[in-house]
Amino acid sequence: MLKRLGVVVFIATGLAALVAGLVAFASPGRVEAVPAFARQYDLQCNACHTRPPRLNRFGEQFHMMGFQIPSAAQPGGIVSSLREDGATKTLIDSLALRVEGGLFEYTESPRETETKFAPPDEITLFLARPLLPELSLFVEIEGEPNAVAFENGRYFPRGQFGLGKEAFFMLNLGRLLGALGAPTMDMGGQTMVGTHGGFSMHGPMLMAGKVDPNTNFSYATNRQLIAPTELEVAHGAVDRLPIVPYAFASKFFGLFKNRDEREPQLATDQVMYNTSGAPGADFHAMFNDVVLAQVGFLRENEGFDTYAAARFDLLDRGELTFNISALVNWGFGVVRAPDPEDPNQPGGNRLDRLRYGVAANVRWKQLDVYGAVIWDRLYGLPGELRGTFDRTATGLTIQADYLVHEEVMLSSRFDQLWAGGLKDEKRDGSVLSLQAKFYPWQNIAFFVRDSVNLRSFVEDSPLRNWRNQLFIGIDWDF
Amino acid sequence: MRLRRLAQTGLMITAMASVLSSPGPPPTHADGDKHEHEGGHVHAHVPAPLEYADIHVPLSVWTDPDMIVRGKKIYATRCAVCHGDQGDGKGPAGVVLPLKPPDFRDKDGVAEMRDNYWFWRVSEGGQVEPFKDKGSAMPPWKSELSVEDRWAVMAYQHTYSGHNGPHVPWEHPQSVAMDRDIFAMACVPCHGVAGKGDGSVGPMLAPRRAPQPRDFTSAEFKFRSTPSGQLPTTADLFRTLTEGVRSSGGPMTLGLRGQRIMPSFRHMPAAQRLEVLEYVKSLNRGLWERSEVKTVTVPTPPAVTPDRLARGKQLYVDAECLACHGARGRGDGSSAPTLKDNRNLPIAATDLTRPGRFKNGARPEDVYRTLVTGLAGTPMPSYADSLEPDQVWDLVFYVLSFSSHGPSAENAPR
Repeated sequence: MLKRLGVVVFIATGLAALVAGLVAFASPGRVEAVPAFARQYDLQCNACHTRPPRLNRFGEQFHMMGFQIPSAAQPGGIVSSLREDGATKTLIDSLALRVEGGLFEYTESPRETETKFAPPDEITLFLARPLLPELSLFVEIEGEPNAVAFENGRYFPRGQFGLGKEAFFMLNLGRLLGALGAPTMDMGGQTMVGTHGGFSMHGPMLMAGKVDPNTNFSYATNRQLIAPTELEVAHGAVDRLPIVPYAFASKFFGLFKNRDEREPQLATDQVMYNTSGAPGADFHAMFNDVVLAQVGFLRENEGFDTYAAARFDLLDRGELTFNISALVNWGFGVVRAPDPEDPNQPGGNRLDRLRYGVAANVRWKQLDVYGAVIWDRLYGLPGELRGTFDRTATGLTIQADYLVHEEVMLSSRFDQLWAGGLKDEKRDGSVLSLQAKFYPWQNIAFFVRDSVNLRSFVEDSPLRNWRNQLFIGIDWDF
Repeated sequence: MRLRRLAQTGLMITAMASVLSSPGPPPTHADGDKHEHEGGHVHAHVPAPLEYADIHVPLSVWTDPDMIVRGKKIYATRCAVCHGDQGDGKGPAGVVLPLKPPDFRDKDGVAEMRDNYWFWRVSEGGQVEPFKDKGSAMPPWKSELSVEDRWAVMAYQHTYSGHNGPHVPWEHPQSVAMDRDIFAMACVPCHGVAGKGDGSVGPMLAPRRAPQPRDFTSAEFKFRSTPSGQLPTTADLFRTLTEGVRSSGGPMTLGLRGQRIMPSFRHMPAAQRLEVLEYVKSLNRGLWERSEVKTVTVPTPPAVTPDRLARGKQLYVDAECLACHGARGRGDGSSAPTLKDNRNLPIAATDLTRPGRFKNGARPEDVYRTLVTGLAGTPMPSYADSLEPDQVWDLVFYVLSFSSHGPSAENAPR
């Protein structure tokens, strides 16, 4: 049996590695609502989303099962779709376009006040569809007009276009386990391991390619109603760090992504998890409809991450649901320490990172509250940096969304960063963001959002050199 | 060496691909799979077909001494030869059959049989699939035994299992175990764990207004073919599950046809749709308390004529349809802003110009059914008592004429 399991793991890993190897790197983005799925299943957006892009419970099940209606997979997959709908409709139903971002920005600081108009942050084309009852495909092609590139030691604005944050297939391995002797049952054309009325397991699902696995977490950062802001650069250097969920940020000042390009790992870079989408493989399975377990590995910079997470759906009663999640992640050589002689340059040591944390989500009627606290600790630091480098950091993010009206979602988020890294560079951050989103249609949102730096202004800190940031923008999924 | 590894990997990937692409789903209790119980006894599980799904044995039958005595007499003369004097499936004729009769002393096996399945088996015997294909020699008793006789013999057979109460799902949760698994995955997010329509999705889907997910424990179901005030048939539930529920609004995007608020589960195998409905039904004991199931008869639609449309227009006024749906059928009548459902939630009058969004279907037969049954729990009444069938058709055609694709006086044959 163990030998059989070994073969399964070997095959799955080989497949995952194969796909991961085929997938190229690209600029980071965000996964959002995909009207392609609405078209494929003739469903409203809100059947799966509290409001796009955040998933409701049904949407979570849909995602977990590989973009199939739970217990109702199309028996013939794409072949059936082609037969029933024809090639044109099948193609249209597989594609979606997303335009997202702030159109107007007002930033206030004691030093200066800036206003600017800008094109949308991201324009993304999705290709998404189940190919077989047990196999689905999801690909993003993304353009970022306001992207920032790093080259020759300098940052500069440069629009980017290419493969987006995620590009992966999702495969249900339940049937494979069945072939190896595990009891299986059919659930609407999907194979499920277990016996009815007894132990049951949905999956395990293999998600491989360029993935960000955090959708299954209690706090899904790739489904933010308050989107991360853009990185601001000036004169080749970082002028202002973006506002992101600090719990999932890199959190350390003074680290580098790599040695050859000498690109800094910014304290607000999104890393495990969520990642900015990285080649790897994720396995997840739902046990007895209560426990969702997840393991995987992902590439990060010069190293790679391994992780395990579990979500426990503890309460589901009378419009009230409650779940908690735990995450542990070990990153092998994922960041590079600064050179002790010249902290502005990467040194020779690649650092390991232990990340662990918990998250929770409560939903009650029109209220949706979720938060996470994540601790990071670095290992392998050169002895010379011990006195000048803080190798622990913590982040806390709490968000509350309230649907005041069918077309209006109010959101607020508090982000707290207790930063680590070089002691003379690092700064803690506290940000409160408030947002109102107006959905005239389910797939179009106009938003007004204000973020306030709750800490004192520090002119030379890209994390805190602002007081107040106001954004007006649009999100449109078509 | 490298070539050997490559070949091994290729072989393994090919093997895995062949497993994943092998035709047909794995075995399931819902497709007639044989299922083994303690003692090695094997029997098949399939849901009762729609024509039998609503035949639930009255609760009192199972413990009624008179019915049990009546059943015993029938059993001795008709059943014991195969099922055995002790109900162990070892009657002299039974032991040689290719598909062995069930052992009624197997309490687990009996507990898994739902009453409508049991009645179906007694009625149709082995003349129906999948049992026919498996070589069942069970004779059909529907022409020889009355419904009460069949209930009586079931009640007697049931005594062999040692269970003293009525044979119902809430006494035997294992009879809907598979159904509950499907319900947990596909239905709980909206309908809630207890099926009360209080899952976490509903309040976000349509905040503070109707429609909300159905409360399966209540006496009010909107989409029925049964008269006003009655519970639906299994076929009604099956239709809703298969078609989903359309909504009045949706995203601004290309190619969306149905804009459903509840998904269509048409891709779920029919047997599994019937299975999950057995669990849904088990949440409502009223289904076991009704003595008979009546459904409205939808006559064959007559031809649309200008006269019918004219009469329908007058009926639309006389029946006060325009108070809610408005003169142009846009759901903007004078009463529309004040409409509430039985949960006191605001509810919109249906926009009749867009039949593609009718929740209970847009075919003439569907609209006829809606007019005759009403939509329970909503302000939409039943016109069964106030309109004759011919008048209902007049109104159906007029309602459908609001749509640009509907019948009109111009294109109706004169």
